[in-house]
Amino acid sequence: MIEKIVDPKELRHWDGRIELYWVYTSGAAGDAFFKKLKEEGKFIAAKCKKCGKVYFPPRIYCEFDFSETEFVEISGEGKVIAFTVAKLDVYENPMDPEIYAVIELDGTDGRIIHLLGEVKPEDIYIGMRVKPVLKKKEEREGRISDILYYKPV
Amino acid sequence: MSVGKKDITCPTSALGTPLKDEDIKKGRVTYVEDHPDIRYSWTAGQAISRFLNELKRGRIIGVKCNECGRIMVPPRLYCELCYKPINEWVYLKDTGTVQTFSISYIDPDARPLPEPIIVAVIAIDGASPNMGIMHILGEVKPEDVYIGMKVKAVWKPENEREGAITDIKYWKPIEG
Repeated sequence: MIEKIVDPKELRHWDGRIELYWVYTSGAAGDAFFKKLKEEGKFIAAKCKKCGKVYFPPRIYCEFDFSETEFVEISGEGKVIAFTVAKLDVYENPMDPEIYAVIELDGTDGRIIHLLGEVKPEDIYIGMRVKPVLKKKEEREGRISDILYYKPV
Repeated sequence: MSVGKKDITCPTSALGTPLKDEDIKKGRVTYVEDHPDIRYSWTAGQAISRFLNELKRGRIIGVKCNECGRIMVPPRLYCELCYKPINEWVYLKDTGTVQTFSISYIDPDARPLPEPIIVAVIAIDGASPNMGIMHILGEVKPEDVYIGMKVKAVWKPENEREGAITDIKYWKPIEG
């Protein structure tokens, strides 16, 4: 065996930083959705002109028959089909519980994942009707966080 | 163009939506952005800590395994051939031989460099064959480098050294 370093100051480490910066644009259909949400507080979905499937989030093409879609207005309301209660934040520190839910939106074949609010975890059930609560118009930025949460109808 | 079922057609080409920087800056399109703060701390361990500390003193150190007799650099605590702890520290020369090299025209972010750099694997004199480190070559034109070229380390002045591999500025050809 060889002699080892015993003075901690002699033991070395290397600090580094990884640069990462990205911009993710919403795309044509996403852009239409977020602008409608921001300006009018309304939801849109995309309906296939051929098969009638209604996409949410909206898309510009139908993925089944490559046909174009048209935007249709929807209520934004729906029902909870799955949910989970998060009690730790991203750093695994305890936080006030947040409820995440998958919500099937009325009049569409699509779903949205968002927060539930104004409800206790123990009162939620699968199939519960919910509706979106939006930020005030002047605070909206054209992002998914313009929807604060969904609350029971 | 037919795809799968006969009544399905798709456009032969799909036009994208060109965007300019100012479309994003002026908020004409919706987007999300992030600049995550990603940090890491890599612990060098016993062998590499000693190696780095010796670089600060202007010396290259390796280790010797008495089982197989190999002298290894960069140093390590265990011989990977004998599965045994290594036996002693060995100071090596700051000269070596180019084993392989590559000319790089871009930096780690893939941006063009003003002058290309020559990256080489250098077998260190005093260590066993093919034992060496990766570094850069200097005071030589890319077209003059060859495999087997003898090179010598060019060190930073002692007061500028910080116990890093960059304490060696580059390796230059040994004349003659």
